Amino acid sequence: MTDAEATKKPAEQPAEPELPLFETNVGGQVMIVAELTDGQLAPVGLELLSMGRELADKLGNPLSCVVIGHNLGDVPNTLGHYGADIVYVADHAELAQYRTMPYKRVMCDLMESLEHPPHIVLMGSTTTGRDLAPRVAAHFLTGLTADVIEMDIGPYEHTNKADPEKVGLYEGCLYAVRPSFGESLKARILGPWKNPQMATARPGVFVPLQPDTNRSFEVKAIPVNLTAEDTALTIRDVVVELNKNVDLTAADVVIAGGYGLADAEGFKLMEELASCFDNAVVGASRKAVDAGWIPYVHQVGQTGKTVRPKLYIACGISGAIQHRVGMSKADTIIAINKDPDAPIFGFADHGIVGDLYQVVPEMIAQLKRQITAA
Amino acid sequence: MTNANFNIYVLIKQVPDTGSKAGVNPDGTIDRARAKRMMNPFDKFALQAALHTKKEYGGTVTAISMGPPPAKEILLEAIEHGADAGVLLSDRRLAASDTLATSYALTKVIEYLNTEKNHPADLIFAGLQTTDGDTAQVGPEIAERLGVMQVTYCEDFSLEGTTLVARRIVEGGHTVVATPLPALVTVANAYTPLAYKSLRGAKKVQYLARTPEVEAEYISVIDLDVVNADPMLAGLKGSPTIVGKTWKIGEVGGSCVVRQGQSVANMVTDVLDATPVDEFLNKKEAVPV
Repeated sequence: MTDAEATKKPAEQPAEPELPLFETNVGGQVMIVAELTDGQLAPVGLELLSMGRELADKLGNPLSCVVIGHNLGDVPNTLGHYGADIVYVADHAELAQYRTMPYKRVMCDLMESLEHPPHIVLMGSTTTGRDLAPRVAAHFLTGLTADVIEMDIGPYEHTNKADPEKVGLYEGCLYAVRPSFGESLKARILGPWKNPQMATARPGVFVPLQPDTNRSFEVKAIPVNLTAEDTALTIRDVVVELNKNVDLTAADVVIAGGYGLADAEGFKLMEELASCFDNAVVGASRKAVDAGWIPYVHQVGQTGKTVRPKLYIACGISGAIQHRVGMSKADTIIAINKDPDAPIFGFADHGIVGDLYQVVPEMIAQLKRQITAA
Repeated sequence: MTNANFNIYVLIKQVPDTGSKAGVNPDGTIDRARAKRMMNPFDKFALQAALHTKKEYGGTVTAISMGPPPAKEILLEAIEHGADAGVLLSDRRLAASDTLATSYALTKVIEYLNTEKNHPADLIFAGLQTTDGDTAQVGPEIAERLGVMQVTYCEDFSLEGTTLVARRIVEGGHTVVATPLPALVTVANAYTPLAYKSLRGAKKVQYLARTPEVEAEYISVIDLDVVNADPMLAGLKGSPTIVGKTWKIGEVGGSCVVRQGQSVANMVTDVLDATPVDEFLNKKEAVPV
């Protein structure tokens, strides 16, 4: 080495000790659980298949989908068309309705029967997924991340000296990203020390793939062995409440009202605007729901629904981050607010600064003229 | 049925009061040292459920919490409302517990109390979720560890002997389930709100504040060793998950075309012209102008 070369080199630094390398991917499946409502596939299952497909392809592992119920008909094939490589089917009269213990038994038996534990297990962040997933995670004493809004695969370097046995570089980890602290922050949660790495995913966040009827996939029936204890809980009644069936996530157009409406009457105006559109529903900000002007099922955002309609009209909504995370992925956002500094004008596509009680009736009148002219 | 002697536990947590400005940083994160503290709002419904069960069907209510020493405040609050006793699991080795590690520690407390009382829990109530974690996982994970039945998202319930009949919220409606005890129930905020403090309870807590030796009979503060828990399975070491990184939810947009100061009719026409509203119009039925 010449002197010139030697001076170019930075001052000698103590070599970083190499971290032990751990490959968490041993070929285990990416497994998703598809939910049924009244025998129909719930949208979140198809959304999970889409996300699961991406994760499975990054890992190079198969994507499996579990469906549990009774008289499932063509449901398993549909799941194959939407991206599953293997569809596990548990079909049994005792499984017709969701119940914690029988479903947990089926899931745990299946997962234990595999050569490797699944690498990743995903369920919907629904009343079913949030009931079942922690029960399964606690059975396997593994990690579970709730209400995830983004996922990816990547490495993780654990250097926390407080926990020396776990220090190392881990490959093939599930990155499960969830909102925290009132949704002003996102946190990446990792659990690379044990498979399966589990998460529940928020409905309405991931977009299903286009179904492909030419895909090849396997359908496997899985044995159902339930004990008397498993079936000790019985279902006495299933009640569908019509006013609870507001399907915000499937609407093309969402007309959302906020605190700026000033009272419950304002939602009648929202209904009227919604009636000008096909497949339109009324949404609300948390403040409007908390004020008791409209039921919780209409709530968009933080603790409400995540929507991605083609058109979102926000009336009297300031656009706080808690609301934004639930609707910012709408194709077109129109905001009506009398405060020109409202945060919603920072991310809407079109804004009108004005009194919504003047703007909305004018909009209804103009839309009705367009409808009659059509 | 009012003579039953149910052993009822209610799991409650002290959380930062995000409704108060104190300790909330401008970016929305929480400085826990400066933040005001409160009982997790969801847990108030669970406490109400436990107290209702005691009143209607008989038994004793023990409030259980895990957290740093100030969490004793919410146990005293529970006693003011009518709980019989409080137990706080407080131990530095619990720091950085995720849901699985938390469920382990609380399960050990429940098992310890079951032995102490020589009567396993009949009903364990918990809030649906916490406002600082939002996971809704700890309840079901405890139920799994204890091997008991669970009902989550419970909005109403009654007891028929030792059968719990519960209304459980599901998407688009509810189901009514019946299960034998013991059971763990997570109570949704559609349940009855927590009633006012009882005069008797409030007087009792005032008395306890003056007489610490008596307070110790009602509120026990215990650590992992007391409940015979393995510290390797609690706290950071017992947690299979870790927060890898956090970041702010990115600012977006800036492309909004804002109309201001023109006539309302012009502004509306302008926006409707710029938006593909035509594809979504309801043309099925003629709407009168």
